[in-house]
This record gives sequence, structure tokens and C-alpha cells, in this order.
Amino acid sequence: MAKAVLKRENIKLNVPLSTMEEGIRYTGGILVDNGYVDAGYVDKMLEREGMASTFMGNSLAIPHGTEDAKANVLETGISVVTVPEGIDFGSGNIAKILIGIAGKNNEHLEILSNIAIVCSEEENIDKILNATSEDEIMDLFSEVS
Amino acid sequence: MAEGKNRARIQRFGSHLSGMIMPNIGAFIAWGLITALFIPDGWLPNEDLATLVDPMIKYLLPLLIGFTGGRLVYDFRGGVVGATATMGVIVGSDIPMFLGAMIMGPLAGYLMKLVDRLFLDKIRAGFEMLYNNFSAGILAAILAGISLKGVGPIVNSLTNSLAAGVEVIVNNGLLPLASIIIEPAKILFLNNAINHGLLSPLGVEQAATNGKSILFLLETNPGPGLGVLLAFMIFGKGISKSSAPGAAIIQFLGGIHEIYFPYVLMKPLLLLAVIGGGMSGVFTFVLLDAGLVATPSPGSIFALLALTPQGNYVAVVLGVIVAAAVSFTIASVILKTTKDVEEDLSAATGKMEEMKGKKSAAAGYLAPQAAQGPTADANSDVLQEGAVVTSDPGMKRADQVRRVVFACDAGMGSSAMGASLLKNKFKKENIDIPVTNTAISQLPEDADIVVTHKDLTPRAKEKLPQAEHISVENFMNSPEYDKLAQRLKK
Repeated sequence: MAKAVLKRENIKLNVPLSTMEEGIRYTGGILVDNGYVDAGYVDKMLEREGMASTFMGNSLAIPHGTEDAKANVLETGISVVTVPEGIDFGSGNIAKILIGIAGKNNEHLEILSNIAIVCSEEENIDKILNATSEDEIMDLFSEVS
Repeated sequence: MAEGKNRARIQRFGSHLSGMIMPNIGAFIAWGLITALFIPDGWLPNEDLATLVDPMIKYLLPLLIGFTGGRLVYDFRGGVVGATATMGVIVGSDIPMFLGAMIMGPLAGYLMKLVDRLFLDKIRAGFEMLYNNFSAGILAAILAGISLKGVGPIVNSLTNSLAAGVEVIVNNGLLPLASIIIEPAKILFLNNAINHGLLSPLGVEQAATNGKSILFLLETNPGPGLGVLLAFMIFGKGISKSSAPGAAIIQFLGGIHEIYFPYVLMKPLLLLAVIGGGMSGVFTFVLLDAGLVATPSPGSIFALLALTPQGNYVAVVLGVIVAAAVSFTIASVILKTTKDVEEDLSAATGKMEEMKGKKSAAAGYLAPQAAQGPTADANSDVLQEGAVVTSDPGMKRADQVRRVVFACDAGMGSSAMGASLLKNKFKKENIDIPVTNTAISQLPEDADIVVTHKDLTPRAKEKLPQAEHISVENFMNSPEYDKLAQRLKK
């Protein structure tokens, strides 16, 4: 595998974002900039959001592309963006942690499952939002469940 | 009670047989057309195109059957393993292995299912791909190897004993009885050894002294097969009905008998029809002293007539007609009396029925076992009695659940997260039911409980109506997970 699914450069802390579209474009932009997806993927992420919200609960949203957007994925990768002020993700859901996903095969599932287990605990959400360095996030998500 | 159970079992078996054959009828017809047209004795002989004939019947058709058989049991995964295992019987024998495929395909699918049941829930998220591919690969390789080694001896001993049987019958002058062996042997492709190894040489001897031999007619009479296909044309249903006329033309006029084999294979009782037809045909031949001057190949009505000696036309034609009529009559009775059993059950509905049967039976035996009603609070210890005995996809109990599947649009994100959480919960409660995730478009048949986001639940229901559907609003923190874990706890 050429590239780590999650690396420090994929994590951005305390980003001032205010709208859902901005948040998705920013989260997807990280994946584009780091060469995980081509630019078309971001539009597919917005399209997917239009179909059904990727808001998962616990202040977490996981924007990703549609099923047919898998062609736009070059490498499997995820990006992490924290927005302590929160973004309205529709229906009054406020997302503070955005995790952008580009999955090619199922290589991202292990880390995603760690993220799920970590984020299902409210206290961990606070830890993530209060994190001061990317490494803290890396540590949290790479902990074996 | 026992009768009912057996009946259900036979029904299920029947619908499986036709489920393996029916979807592939198109390929059989394609093969039949190519063969009838392009083989050296065909209507438009063409050496290049005729090279398709052998690989198609030896590889393509058995592989399709093996794949379909495996898929019936365990979705695409079973299909892949089934086809690979079928390769073993194909390579291990030199006759087309329809029966071998019909055994190995579903068997391999079933074994894959067992292996998965053992391991699937123990696989850490993220390693599914690795596990999936290697477990299937290893199992398929083992099965292909075993069937390669095992099938040759079986086929040989079967052929030898059948040939010995025919020899005894011929030597004792009981020709009509030969059909009892020859007709089933044809369906299993064991006829060539009998025909060319035994009947033809004997026939050539007789023809040399008498100018004709009845032995050439034993196996090549197109009547019995025609009768079965005509019965399907009138009393069949669905694909089998609509494809039967074309098959009849290929078989009767083109002389490609193999085309009717699948119709018999999907309803083995029809062996009685072809045996009956064959016997009465042979009996007519004997009575009227019919014979041919050489082996007709292919066994089309034209080839038969071309090899009929002067003055024997009536006898030969009558034998064919009698055989077809008798076979048609028996086949019609069989199709009519058993038509509620399968036939119209196309693969999908058939499987649904089958699952329903299983469910209601299970529910019946285990009657008033405690189960939580839909509104019961997860935290309360008050359990509702009974309740879930309908065959509708209501609330399922632990023993009815083979797999819980989370589904979302792409199978990429939300479903994976939800599945991880529930898997974690199940692990804590020691619940031994696999939890996986997928895209809605790929929901597997054995998903007994499907969890989706509330916006996507209608789509999931449409895709898999027989499953229990749980709708969640919040994948990360849904009360439904605890409810489900409580309900499925032993």
C-alpha cells in the first residue's frame, strides 16, 4: 500500500467553518490535496450528502462520495477536521468532527471501526475537540479497540 | 407431520434443482444451436465455429451450473467457490459433468457458509477482505483438488457397471429393458461409452450379416427426449415452457439430445418418462423388426431416416412416434401432478418461500418462547410472551438470525461504523451472530436483520423484503443497538 490511510497531514484542528457545504469542501479538499482522490470526488461528496445526511450522531459527520464515486478514489484515505463551534448538518444536527472518507477497497474499515468505537463514547468526543495536536488524534484513533 | 416435513424437503430440493438449471437454459440453447449448425454432420458445417462445441459443454455449462448452485446456497461467494470446486470434477473426468456440477456447486457453497459461520464474527474489522478472499480461495482449492481426484474413479466404475448391465440385457435378448439403463446414462453423459464401446461394435457385426441392426436405434432414438420437451411446451411454466419449443427443434431435428438433459435434471422424476418412452420405442422396433444400417450421428430424425434401409421406414418412424407419445404422456402426468411443487418458483420467490417455510416451522416447534415485543423497553426485564410466530418479517429471535447486516448507499462509511459498534456490543454480550456491512444494492440473501439509516430503510426493504428491518437515526449512538443486543442475548 503506497499511502497511510490516516496521517498527520490529513488532520486539521479547530478550523473555522460555518456551513455544511464549506465543511464538506474543506474535508474533501484535504483528500484532494494529499492525492487520495481527484477533484471530482468533492462534488460526489456533496451529492451524497444531498441523498442522505452523513451525520452520525455524537457531533460526528462522515462525508464521503456516492457508490459510483469509487472511480474517483485513487488511494484509500480519511481526513479529520474539528470544528468546535459546530456546523449545522441539517435537521438541527450539529457536527463538530468531520471525517472525510475515500474508500477504495475495504482498507479503511479497520481505522473507521476504531473511529466508530472511539466516537461512540461522549467523553472521547470532548477529548478530540480539546485536542491541541494532531498526534493526540492519531493516538486516539489508532488505539486498538 | 413427518410427511409434511418430507414434502417440504422434497419441494426445497426440487426448487434447488430447477434453480440451478433454469437460469442457464439460455447457455444450453446457445450450445445446442452452435452444435446443431456447425458440427461436421450439422446443417452448416464450419470447422472453426465447431471448435466452440466441446469447451462449451465441458466447461461453460458445468461451470455455470456449479456457480448457480453455489450462489443459490450462499450468494456470490458460494457461487465463486462452487464454480471453482466444479472445475475439479470437470478436469477429473472426460465427460461433461452436469451432475458433478449439481453436486459440487451447492456443496461448496454450503461448506463456505459453514466456514464463514465459524470465523466471520471473529474477523477484526478491516481484515474482512483478506479473510474473505483467502478463506474462499483455500476452500475452493481444496474442494477442486478433492473432486478432481475423486470423480474419475466414480465415473469409471459407474460406466463399467452400466455397460456390463447393458451387455447382459442385450445378450439375453431383453432389448426394451436396456432403456432402463441407457436413458438415465444419457442424462449423465455416460452413454458414449455404452453406445460406442458396446452397442456400435455389436451393431456393426449384425449389420454386416443382416444389413441392419436394431442396436443402432437404442440410444439414438430422439423420441423420448422429444416427448419430454413437448410436455414442457404444454404443461411447463415460465422459462421452461417458453424455451421448450426451441429446444425441441434443436433436439429432434438437429439431433442434439443433450439439450433436453437439463429439463430432466431439474425434475429427476422425468427419468420415468424417458425410460418409459425409450422402452416402448425399443419394443416397437423389436416388434416391427426395425433397424438401421449404421449409427446415426447426431441422433436427429433426419439422420435416422437417412440410415433406414428400404422397407423399414414405417417401423423406424413408428418407433420414434411411440417413444415420443409415451414419454410425452408420462411427462405430462408428472408435470401436471407436481406443478405446484416448483416450476413456477423462479429462483427468488422460491428461496423466499423456502425461508418462510423454515421460519414458520422453527417458530412452530419452539412455540411459546419469550421474545421482546417491538415496543418493549430495552432496560425493562418484562418480556412479552410468544408474539413472534408469523412468517412476516417481524421481530426475529436469536435462533432465526444468521447475520445482521448494516447497509448504506455505498457501503463505505456509515454502515461500517454502525457495524463496528454493534459488533463490539455483541462481543461484550457474547452473542455469536456475525455483523457485517454492505451497500444496499448488494444486500445478501442471508441477512436476517438489516440495519439502515431511516432515510434509506425504504430502499433496503424493497431490496430484501423478507428481512427484519431496523431503522436508526443516529448510527453512533442508537438505542436500537442495545435493544437488539438484549433481544439476541442467550
